[in-house]
Amino acid sequence: MRTFLLAALWFHLASSVSIVGASFVLVLAGRSVSPTTERWEGAVVRWLRILVVIAIGSGIASLLLRTAVFEGRPQAALEARAVGHALLDTRAGVIWLVRHGLLIVLGWFLAMRADLTDTRNWIASRGEALALGVLVLALMSGSSHAAAVTPGTTRALAVDVVHLVATGVWIGGFVPLALLLWAASRAGGAEARRYARRAVGRFSLTALVAVALLMVSGVMNALVQVETVAGLAGTTHGRLLIAKLAVLVPIVAVAAVNRGRLLPALSTPETIDEPRLMRRLTGFVAIEGILALVLLGLVAAMTLQTPARHAQPVWPLPFRLSLDVLDVSATRWRWLVGSQLLVLGVAAVVAALVARGRRGPILAGAVALVVLGAGVGVPPIVVDAYPTTYRRPLVSYHATSIAAGMSVYRERCAACHGAAGRGDGVARDRQHPPADLRSSAMARRHAGEIFWLITHGLPQRGMPGFERELPDKDRWDVINFIRALGAADASATIGRTVEPERAWLVAPDFTVSVGPLAPGALRDHRGRRSVLVVLYTLPEAQSRMAQLARAYDLLWIMGVEVIAVPTDASPDAIKALGATPPVLFPVVTDGAADIVLTYRMFAPGPHTEVLIDRQGYIRAMWSGDSVAMPASTALTAQVEQLNDEKNVPPFPDDHVH
Amino acid sequence: MAVWQVVLFANLTLAVGLGTGYAAWGRAAGTLDRELDSVRARVEQLERERQACATGARAGEQQWEARGIVRAIVPGANLLVITHEEIRDFLPARTTSFRAVSPTMSDAVHVGDAIRFSLRGTARDDAALVAIERW
Repeated sequence: MRTFLLAALWFHLASSVSIVGASFVLVLAGRSVSPTTERWEGAVVRWLRILVVIAIGSGIASLLLRTAVFEGRPQAALEARAVGHALLDTRAGVIWLVRHGLLIVLGWFLAMRADLTDTRNWIASRGEALALGVLVLALMSGSSHAAAVTPGTTRALAVDVVHLVATGVWIGGFVPLALLLWAASRAGGAEARRYARRAVGRFSLTALVAVALLMVSGVMNALVQVETVAGLAGTTHGRLLIAKLAVLVPIVAVAAVNRGRLLPALSTPETIDEPRLMRRLTGFVAIEGILALVLLGLVAAMTLQTPARHAQPVWPLPFRLSLDVLDVSATRWRWLVGSQLLVLGVAAVVAALVARGRRGPILAGAVALVVLGAGVGVPPIVVDAYPTTYRRPLVSYHATSIAAGMSVYRERCAACHGAAGRGDGVARDRQHPPADLRSSAMARRHAGEIFWLITHGLPQRGMPGFERELPDKDRWDVINFIRALGAADASATIGRTVEPERAWLVAPDFTVSVGPLAPGALRDHRGRRSVLVVLYTLPEAQSRMAQLARAYDLLWIMGVEVIAVPTDASPDAIKALGATPPVLFPVVTDGAADIVLTYRMFAPGPHTEVLIDRQGYIRAMWSGDSVAMPASTALTAQVEQLNDEKNVPPFPDDHVH
Repeated sequence: MAVWQVVLFANLTLAVGLGTGYAAWGRAAGTLDRELDSVRARVEQLERERQACATGARAGEQQWEARGIVRAIVPGANLLVITHEEIRDFLPARTTSFRAVSPTMSDAVHVGDAIRFSLRGTARDDAALVAIERW
């Protein structure tokens, strides 16, 4: 059914694009001057009528098939209720109605037999067909992927409209233009040759502008819908886009030959009467038309795919380029030298193309430079990659996941990698010792890469695969734990005072369950309040908790929420804190164990306090005995420091990378 | 009729037609949504007033039901501080202090107890606790 839907969409898109192109070429060519051109004009108007019928027919077919796909049953396509629902209760349906209403008006208009000898009537007639055609095509973007972009819907729609209309003006014009050239190149069409030459000249110039607009709007569209190289190379939507570009290249190449070679050759009074040249041009334009049809088929397929930005990419290559490895100095130098040679080489290629004389030697030298630059600069930044390299983690960076990962790690990984991930387990004396999971090399790996390594292992280095033993979620939990291990190792530099303007350590999210009420989350405070997370144990911390309870008013006024997490995870934690002084901040009564396990990785000790800024980054930590915690004045001084910060970093991602 | 006149007429018709279509349906949808919301809120308020009437209250009073945890009791001021869930059309989930209508109400509960409670009042400012029970 999807194949039929694809075919219907293809027909509909191709006919809508061709309507714009054909009516545009009619306007561009101007009024007829001879019997041949009058016959051509008549033929194009007939072609337009056929196109409108095809557009309406394929439009109805695509509506019915879409309803069937949407409802998940083929028979829905024939049920008035289902089709009515798709038509009247969805945005795409309303746009469909308006567009097809306009198509009917256009069809009626084209069916009229009117006298166009008066110039005003000719302009009105041709202009109206073009205007209606453009409107029908442009409205298509209202139900496209662009309409689903938020925020920035208006911008995305505007870019999409430009892209569609430029496509119509350029690609849709090939068929009528080929017809005109064919008519003019025949024996009886000599009197139409100047007219045809002029029309092609104007079309060529407009096409140049249209192609420029297509490229700019196409790049803008791709940045929004595809976002990343992984999305381009690793998803169906992205690969269709690559295929579309691959078809576009020969079309532009043929167009360039037409414009650069054939058109100038047709410009002299001697050659314009040369039918051979005109026939060749006809052939070339026809080739462009056929390629354009293929291109529109790919576009129709793209509209049926999930946009790359929402799909899980599957990386197709065994390697990727990564600039992260440049923190090693030898690599950095090699990359710098290589990249500069590469830039020089590219500049030399451009110079060779522009230069008039001695083109060959310059070009050869330039290519040699490019090859040398690539040979020197690229190898150091090539790193291994796997199909899952760019996969987005299934579970977020959350204390529950980290704690679950910790227990899986202890059971399955710690024997070799060591309890703290240093690679110092029983296998440390092997020829290939297990990896140090806290190393910078590990931090540079994408989460998706670690996922692949855990799933399939590295047999040559003795690392087994866990595809059968651990479900997906467990593997992602372990990855979250490994990320927390690395972060905890690096967090040694975070001290008891806030370091101004340096927010980098992401606070793992956690669930705040107070009694049987609906739970909240640490991240609910993002953008609103700083948070002081207190891991406490009674009765040792009784006086510290009383101190915090008394300071809570002041802390609240300064924009701080306090979240207390008992280390013994008791449901009676609130009662245990006593009634005086009243403790009014949230006390976690459920799920505290996961939070304690996770945050003690960062700051081990019997009593721990962690200050998290409004953006969700850990900024200061205190751990040790509860009597050695900062007095409320020292605490508020750190909060003031946070409140005074001018440069606000972006919210951290909820998933690890 | 000349072609250009037909075109002019057709375009005017289209513009007026699409414009009215948008004004009639496109905008109406938003208005209907807002109306529906306000009617819902009104129904809920009436429901709260009905509840208040059932237990013998003054005219115009509404009653809100919610769940929470007692965090502090201030006997002298007759106040209870409660961490509660969202109370629809009244308060978001947070910790709030409420006045109890009778001084003996707080005797039955202690700090840390999970409770169900009822608030009654003519407006949000004068709402007071009228019933508390252990959850």
